[in-house]
Amino acid sequence: MRERSERTNGHSSTDGIRVAALDDIPEGEGIAIDKAITGTADDIALLRDTDGSVWALDDTCTHEDASLADGWVEDGYVECPLHSSKFCLKNGEVQGLPATRSTCPHRVEVRDGEVYLFPGQAP
Amino acid sequence: MRVVVVGGGVAGVSTVAALRAGGFDGDLTLVDAGEFPYDRPPLSKDYLAGSKDLEQIALQRPHWYDEQGVRLLTRTTVTALRTPDGGIELGDGTLLPADRVVLATGGGAARPPIPGAVGDRVHVLRTAEDADRLRAVLVPGARILVVGAGLIGAEAASTAVDLGCEVVLADPVAMPLAAALGEDLAAWLHGLHARRGITTLRAGIASFAETGDGVEASFAGGVEASFAGGVEPRTSDAAALGAVARAERLRAFDAVVLGVGMTPQTALAEAAGLDVDGGVLVDAGQVTSNPAVLAVGDGARTRRGPRVEHWEAAQHDGARAAATILGTPAPEPPAPWFWTDRHGRHVEVVGHMDAADQIIVRGSFEDPSFSVFGLRDGLVVAAAAVDDSTAVRAARRMIDRRIPADPARLSDPSVNVRVLLRG
Repeated sequence: MRERSERTNGHSSTDGIRVAALDDIPEGEGIAIDKAITGTADDIALLRDTDGSVWALDDTCTHEDASLADGWVEDGYVECPLHSSKFCLKNGEVQGLPATRSTCPHRVEVRDGEVYLFPGQAP
Repeated sequence: MRVVVVGGGVAGVSTVAALRAGGFDGDLTLVDAGEFPYDRPPLSKDYLAGSKDLEQIALQRPHWYDEQGVRLLTRTTVTALRTPDGGIELGDGTLLPADRVVLATGGGAARPPIPGAVGDRVHVLRTAEDADRLRAVLVPGARILVVGAGLIGAEAASTAVDLGCEVVLADPVAMPLAAALGEDLAAWLHGLHARRGITTLRAGIASFAETGDGVEASFAGGVEASFAGGVEPRTSDAAALGAVARAERLRAFDAVVLGVGMTPQTALAEAAGLDVDGGVLVDAGQVTSNPAVLAVGDGARTRRGPRVEHWEAAQHDGARAAATILGTPAPEPPAPWFWTDRHGRHVEVVGHMDAADQIIVRGSFEDPSFSVFGLRDGLVVAAAAVDDSTAVRAARRMIDRRIPADPARLSDPSVNVRVLLRG
């Protein structure tokens, strides 16, 4: 899957995959990147914190089938749109019920206003 | 210090988690009567439908208790409080010492004193065992009467119709949840049932009677019927009652589900001489009339207000109880919040809609998603949303932070609701 992503995007894994322009992601919101692009088992949520920083987590909430990209991003956390489970943007750690399992973080870089994703790499 | 928490619902598990998160390093025990602590909201939805099993609705993963240094006693009942001298007494006679006991005993499903309401075909829905028993009868074509159209009853009715049952939903209240949602949204939400083919009756139940092939219900008082299949709602009159009586399929059922609320389990507290009045009475720090005993969740009630039965309220109770035990400031509770999932729609409510003096509708009830805001003196006091959780999260912050709202912008779906937080 990774190879297909590289072909699709024309980047090697050392450069990351260019997945969005920074301006595509409003502060406090997120967008989902299709797993066909990232080559991962789950879609990846690109999440922009209220301080402007960008983070990436597996998109599906570990509690029920909801997209974290549709969640509320604020002060270092994303809140699931369905039942308000909260996950730390930096490391995916779950903070309180109803979710009980953490989600997977991925490394992101912003270069020249473009967002590059490194699926499977730790931030 | 030794703390024992009695009851493994969301209040009990949240208490334990908040104690450890707050740095409690003492002896910590959680006593639960069930197989293991599990989450209750899915019992009327995914679990009842059979799409999730008990492990999938566990409140914590099995190894979490070890990681947190929590001694978990399952399938264990508590028979008496001996605090502050001896802690608690378990069903097998063991005395478990404790310096503080937290009662998180929750409630039991209410069984109203309706004649015939204790038969094998009459179900309640509070525990996984209840859901297992009910699921066995929710087969395609089964005739199911659901009594009570609040949260549990409405969700059970939705699940039953999903499973192919023929469902009748009866409630004496014209618009269930009207206080929480406002009348228009409550009417819309209740109307979903009829649109899914459920026959809704405005009626109470006078009695149940077992017959050869089912249970027969006698409806009390004037019945208002809104029949599935395009027949318009009828007003309350003898003709409507007659229509019900004539339709035999509306009278004999394979099973009845009572979704008529819960009764707080206060027997332990009462036997120990604690103050109890519609719940174990607690102060703002969840402390009961015995300083060594705290109470949280559905079974507890503050002296200031009514008992609250919502999932998140139980979680906040646990956080407050933990703060009391730790001697740290209690977290400020945010505006109350709850959700219901039915007929494929996700509905969330925050705040107190019945306190509003102005109602703002954002979008239209015909839209895939929409929301309703309740304002009082220009401030948001409540919001209810259908498939629009962002509006509810924004509203919650507007309520908690007392951010003034501009009704014109609030009602305009093209204005990003997050922007409204900036005032």
